[in-house]
Amino acid sequence: MVFGSMVRKKPITLSKSTPTHYVNPNWLQRISDISVDRAAQLVVDLHPFRSSEVMEFKEGRHRILMVSDFFYPNFGGVENHIYLLSQCLLKLGHKVVVMTHAYANRSGVRYMTNGLKVYYVPWKPFLMQNTLPTFYGTLPIIRTILIREKISLVHGHQAFSTLCHEALMHARTMGYKVIFTDHSLYGFSDIGSIHMNKVLQFTLADVSQAICVSHTSKENTVLRSGLPPEKVFVIPNAVDTTMFKPAPERLSMDPIVIVVISRLVYRKGADLLVEVIPEVCHLYPNVRFIIGGDGPKRVRLEEMREKHSLQDRVDMLGAVPHAKVRSVLNSGHIFLNSSLTEAFCIAILEAASCGLLTVSTHVGGVPEVLPDDMIVLAKPDPNDMVDAIKKAIRILPRIDPQEMHLRMKEMYSWHDVAKRTEIVYDRALRCSNQTLLERLPRYLTCGAWAGKLFCLVMTIDFILWRLLQLWQPDSEVEPVPDFKRTELKRG
Amino acid sequence: MADPSIISNARFIYVNDNHKFHPPHSVDSHHIIVHRSVVKPIVIYLIALLLVAHAVFLHFEKGEPVTAVIWSFFFGAVLVKFFIWRPIVKESVIIMPEFGVQLETHYGSGRIKRRFIPVSKNLKPVLNEHVTPVTCCWCLSLLIRDENELTLVFKKFRPPLKMLVPIWKALCAATDCKESFEFQEDGQARGLY
Repeated sequence: MVFGSMVRKKPITLSKSTPTHYVNPNWLQRISDISVDRAAQLVVDLHPFRSSEVMEFKEGRHRILMVSDFFYPNFGGVENHIYLLSQCLLKLGHKVVVMTHAYANRSGVRYMTNGLKVYYVPWKPFLMQNTLPTFYGTLPIIRTILIREKISLVHGHQAFSTLCHEALMHARTMGYKVIFTDHSLYGFSDIGSIHMNKVLQFTLADVSQAICVSHTSKENTVLRSGLPPEKVFVIPNAVDTTMFKPAPERLSMDPIVIVVISRLVYRKGADLLVEVIPEVCHLYPNVRFIIGGDGPKRVRLEEMREKHSLQDRVDMLGAVPHAKVRSVLNSGHIFLNSSLTEAFCIAILEAASCGLLTVSTHVGGVPEVLPDDMIVLAKPDPNDMVDAIKKAIRILPRIDPQEMHLRMKEMYSWHDVAKRTEIVYDRALRCSNQTLLERLPRYLTCGAWAGKLFCLVMTIDFILWRLLQLWQPDSEVEPVPDFKRTELKRG
Repeated sequence: MADPSIISNARFIYVNDNHKFHPPHSVDSHHIIVHRSVVKPIVIYLIALLLVAHAVFLHFEKGEPVTAVIWSFFFGAVLVKFFIWRPIVKESVIIMPEFGVQLETHYGSGRIKRRFIPVSKNLKPVLNEHVTPVTCCWCLSLLIRDENELTLVFKKFRPPLKMLVPIWKALCAATDCKESFEFQEDGQARGLY
């Protein structure tokens, strides 16, 4: 795996220090409409540390435990993020251990590339890949892992992961510093979201630092959880540009191929595709569609194909394995993303890295991802999207895939994400250690009844932890020898 | 100076009988013996007795039904079984170079269960991390030719790593396989591959 060096980005006008990731100027226009105080707060958080400060406090190796219900062998945004971030942190010299639940018959300890140790704890998932929430059931195994691996901080991923919430709760009880990364946007009004937001309030009431993948995601997380904005860092995702490369030979412009790769579910705007595709096919006889992915809305797309007799112009590939995504992208000119909500959208990064022009809905964090000349945005409305596709087809001849790929290589790199995450870890470790009594008042702010309930939950957790220490003292848990990789000697 | 052939902790005692036989290094025995404390059985029996006495008192003085006494006997027996009575008192590994390995399990009743693995069937001894829903510990297993599953050297005991490492090294030497890890003095392992 090849990692780029520390990248330099376009400077922005609102702050004196050098930014460390791309910022779309149109997005800056949007924040100037918000009150000055709020804008200033958001601008400060664009880059909490200047590049020079990175060199000053290199505090040595960290020992990080990544916890989530979402990891290999599943493929997805969160899974790839954890894996690639862990690999980059290992390259920087830190120790990383991942903890997740067991998948089918994959249970126990596994080692991945570069000695990344993964604990597949045999708690079976019960709903949508999530471990059964037992409040205190995972305390013994988490305590054992934290002691034997000599972990210094715990990094949880994804608000929807029950294992993450439990691990962060137990780690705080035991006095470890915790960091939480939120990967998705959630609503405020439906019953599922209300419940989820309450759980998030509980977890984030006492978190050391938090990370969001875009500024929109940061706003969403801060509003949902009541976390002070100073504690939230924005570190966008990246893309592996060595894997996503354009085809060596440029495709001919006849026919123009539009690629869609996403899960065919309501959230990803599959219903919009049903309206948009026939209209575009009618307007442009030389346009073809390739649809990769599977889901409940696939039936609707098949019906649309039949109804408008588009079998020769719309190809449905079904679920595309992660390793084949690049070849599917390389067979197209335009990438269409019709999501109704996205915190960041790594898919359009992958498409841009392969040299495709992107047409996307103007939702969530999507406007923050690519520069204006690489993406055409539209409202999540069929007519608007058809207009956006018309515009994209018009500007397509001006696009150079190789040049786009090189620009993406400059702008996004997982190595940069790891360095910025390292800064967050350093900041987290400098937070003061607090006793249970000092921490409990933070939970009281979560609500009139909820606050008291959360305090009770944490107090019981503390008591159970102490009982566990009496039953099996810390000294009885043996530390694991460190895995040091030596270079292979050839000859 | 402590005898290098004995290691003990709160639960187990490890004894290595390498030097007992003549000529030396012909047969290598490693024993893991469960620690027997004196105070714990007395306390547990007292608690069980108190439980039964309380139930009997309730039955005769307060008129509780006899089932309360029966339940108290049952709970007392569970307490004794769980905390005191150990069916297995010792597990041993006897290594006979060029010949094979014998695994022995000594029960409290005096019964000894033995299993002999000839050297030709023994592929490799491995130290695995065994993850359960509540804990994670090390266990020593043997890879046996023509068998799909690992053979655990210690069926019930989970001794600490410092006791397992000398046994694993002796098994590696007996099966003539190169060790995959070198353990340095400070407990750090260096992987070679």
